[in-house]
Amino acid sequence: MSEIEVRVKIVGQKSPRRLKVATRTTIADLLKKLDQNRETVVVSLNGKIVPEEERLAAGDLVEILPVVTGG
Amino acid sequence: MIKSVERRFWHAINENKLVSPGERVAVAVSGGKDSVVCMHLLANYCRVKRCELVAITVDEGIKGYREESLLIARENAKMLGIEHQVVSFKKAFGSTLDGMVKLAIKKRTGLNPCTYCGVLRRSILNQAARELGAHKLATGHNLDDEAQAIMLNYIRADLSRLYRLGPSYSPLEGFVPRIKPLREIPEKEVALYALLKGMNVHLGVCPYASGIHTEVRDFLNKLETNHPNSKFMILRMFEQIKPHLKVAVPGFEMKKCENCGEPTSSRLCKTCELLQDIDLVNRQKNLISL
Repeated sequence: MSEIEVRVKIVGQKSPRRLKVATRTTIADLLKKLDQNRETVVVSLNGKIVPEEERLAAGDLVEILPVVTGG
Repeated sequence: MIKSVERRFWHAINENKLVSPGERVAVAVSGGKDSVVCMHLLANYCRVKRCELVAITVDEGIKGYREESLLIARENAKMLGIEHQVVSFKKAFGSTLDGMVKLAIKKRTGLNPCTYCGVLRRSILNQAARELGAHKLATGHNLDDEAQAIMLNYIRADLSRLYRLGPSYSPLEGFVPRIKPLREIPEKEVALYALLKGMNVHLGVCPYASGIHTEVRDFLNKLETNHPNSKFMILRMFEQIKPHLKVAVPGFEMKKCENCGEPTSSRLCKTCELLQDIDLVNRQKNLISL
């Protein structure tokens, strides 16, 4: 299976890291891979908030914002 | 998404008759996403339904956490043109929460900070809302909070507290009725609403957050991921059970706390009981400076 490289940043951490994932990987798949619960984060793809069913493309910047904090 | 949250907010208020026209509503605003969203939605509701809104922020004095959220609460209230009152643990009870935690450790009370914070915060909010002449006190509790509370009180076998959960709670004299217009909206959707509307909200985590609350929260989030809609079903099931709980909840007579005069079913209110355990005995009678 071919792979693509994306950049992933968890908001609050210093800088994005590069990650290789299979083509056709969705944001939901990526969250599982990173052990992030989709109930507790909001994800933006290239600066735009998107549903977790969205498929990733090479070079994408994925920012993961933890939002379950109490408030 | 935005319209969906707004529609469910309005539905919660109208369906449960949470606010009547002309009422004065106090909204508890910490600066976090839930309370800020609640304040914005209530501001719009009150504009249309001609009720008054006042924001209350409790400053527990948690260093490195509360300062930033306080500024955010203030900024949002100012943007909405809403009266904003800040009431502090230090002024009300003579110590910040940080100070109380140190005293509790020294006195070996064995109680965790969340116990002090929860009891004292509710007490100070009620007192402030009453002094401000509010008919209702709104909080930003969301679906996740309600599901967690149901599970926690079930685990603790606390029927009385379980019975008090709901979209509104109208207790006895001296207590301002509490309403929770966001209680059917998942926490993540509240967060999305705040982000999509470009609201400035505080997303920090309280440094004292730990223990069973966190464990129940994590459990429910995992459950929801694997079995979507679980939190909502927990809420719905509870609503079916609630009318049947009344017979099992013991009745009590309301009195005035011997120390501070606040309403209680015991000799001392829970707040004074906790404060006396750490040698803090004086409570501020009037919180609101006009």
